[in-house]
Amino acid sequence: MIHDHAKSTSVANHAWIRARKLRKVYRKALRDGVQEIVPLAALDLEIARGDFVSLMGPSGSGKTTLLNLLAGIDAATSGELWIGDHNLVHMRRDALAAWRAKEVGIIFQSYNLVPVLTAFENVELPLLLSPLGRRERTERAMEALTTVGLADRAGHFPSQLSGGQEQRVAIARAIVARPPLLLADEPTGDLDRESAELVLQLLDQLNEREKMTIVMVTHDPRAAARARTRLFLEKGELARREEAVP
Amino acid sequence: MKLLPFDHAIRNLARSPRRLFLVVGGSTLVSLLVLGAVAFSRGLEASLGASGLATNALLLGTGSEESVERSEISPTTAEALHASVDGIAVHAGRPAIASEIHVALPASLASPEQATTDTASATRATEESPIMVRGYETASSLVHPQVRLKEGRWPSGGASEVAAGPEALARIDGAKLGSTILLAGEPCVVVGVFEAPGTTMHGEFWMPVELLAIITQRSTRSCVIAALGGVDEAGERIDPQVAFDDVEAFTAMRLDLETTAVRESEYYAQLAAFLAPIRMLVLITALLVAFGGALGGINAMYAAFASRVREAGTLQAIGFSRGAIAISLLIESLVACATGALMACLLGRLLLDGIAVRFSMGTFTLAVDSAAIAAGLLAGLSLGVVGGIAPIARCLSLPIPLALRS
Repeated sequence: MIHDHAKSTSVANHAWIRARKLRKVYRKALRDGVQEIVPLAALDLEIARGDFVSLMGPSGSGKTTLLNLLAGIDAATSGELWIGDHNLVHMRRDALAAWRAKEVGIIFQSYNLVPVLTAFENVELPLLLSPLGRRERTERAMEALTTVGLADRAGHFPSQLSGGQEQRVAIARAIVARPPLLLADEPTGDLDRESAELVLQLLDQLNEREKMTIVMVTHDPRAAARARTRLFLEKGELARREEAVP
Repeated sequence: MKLLPFDHAIRNLARSPRRLFLVVGGSTLVSLLVLGAVAFSRGLEASLGASGLATNALLLGTGSEESVERSEISPTTAEALHASVDGIAVHAGRPAIASEIHVALPASLASPEQATTDTASATRATEESPIMVRGYETASSLVHPQVRLKEGRWPSGGASEVAAGPEALARIDGAKLGSTILLAGEPCVVVGVFEAPGTTMHGEFWMPVELLAIITQRSTRSCVIAALGGVDEAGERIDPQVAFDDVEAFTAMRLDLETTAVRESEYYAQLAAFLAPIRMLVLITALLVAFGGALGGINAMYAAFASRVREAGTLQAIGFSRGAIAISLLIESLVACATGALMACLLGRLLLDGIAVRFSMGTFTLAVDSAAIAAGLLAGLSLGVVGGIAPIARCLSLPIPLALRS
């Protein structure tokens, strides 16, 4: 059963992610002036900790921009964006990098594995930013690879893996530091149905067992249907919010 | 700041063997050119430094202090100097003082017919090149202890004979011990080969000063060279400095001789200073050519790093700082360029070290010494840093979202 809360601004009493009048403007220099592109107009949004959220909407609706702002890899033009106790809008670049290393795991549509590193080394990368020793890093990386079912491919290079396997390695890399927030940009976009299903099952599992908050951008209604909360963006604003009732 | 593992940079080097080859090749070229230019400069400096002794006084014609070739003094100067100054060294009862003529003459190998005739009008068999010829006296061996007879004998007076330094022989195709060469059209038999390694004399022809005076039709000498450090009447050794002061006093008193005294080492030091613009020109030319090689290397680095923009974006998204990624890329650039620099040093030692460079005053050898190697390494490492900065900055200049989409 689905509840429709069009343009709802409050869904949780204790929202972990809170956006207030979040605005992002890109300025593009043209011959006859400056063109402003506004992917996010004045977005208000709340997401509870432990939620599994899908972001949907037509191209240019601001999905990826919102995901980038949530990841701290892009800066908002104005407004507020709180994740826990951190207001990302006011954080400096170095602080954001340090915050990302601990708090966020990112899954990209095209995997973005480092080609000269093995699956194990790719997964270990985020742990190099932690104070963990080599033995602990190895245990954690192998544990993450086991979670995604690729422990036996630890020594393989990305070029020796299938697309689905690469994406699972990318998921292992995103979760290895055990971040509370997992962001996924079209994680099944480049995969066949079988591999996509495997990835979605993994995300389900991470949300339910590890209590990770997941925000996933997708165009695929079947993928979106796995989320408990579905947000629809249009022209940089929240057009609709649907929540699955357990 | 948490850095990326060192081996990450090393492994990235092997991503594109072609680009790696271009970067290493560019660095090798740049380093080799700089190393070669420094070896040239050091070799010339060392050769001129070794050619003159601080304990030798050189008497030149007044106004010709900068060029012994232009100098003309009376043949009686040596005798007058010896009679007036006590501090001239004496070896086996012979005073170490010699009048010499220094002149660059066209030299070529004589044809068989020319070898049997003594006419200067014979046509030349091989291409002529100007080579320094020194007219010497017996005492010259006392003032030039660097010179040693290697083969044959010294020329005898009266006959048209010449002794040759190995590099002087090498400048005339086919010339060897026993050959007849034409010096200013005059056939001379090479009766001996001497060596004076590391000095300009290694590339000279030596013949008796009287014979050279006849060939060049001059009645004057170029210089008098006197070894200082003789003993006084009481048998005490005279300090060479005091002896040199006496030589200077002699030139000041004997104005009729129109001579001036300089230490032989100072003369060559001045000559080295005079040639400094040429050394600078060589270095600048090398740097200009090296710049081309550097551009090739930088271009390859641009291409290598441009293809890694998305990876740089991913690493930033994971949490690595731009500084950490920049350092990793810089290590990559430095390792590639250092490899090229090391190869250049190896090539320099194997191919350039000891190569003879001939010039009008004789010859000198390229010296690939520690300074040249340090310069080559420095050039390679500088290329790694300076050449890497722009491609790295370009690679990391994009905002992360754009880098991830590139």
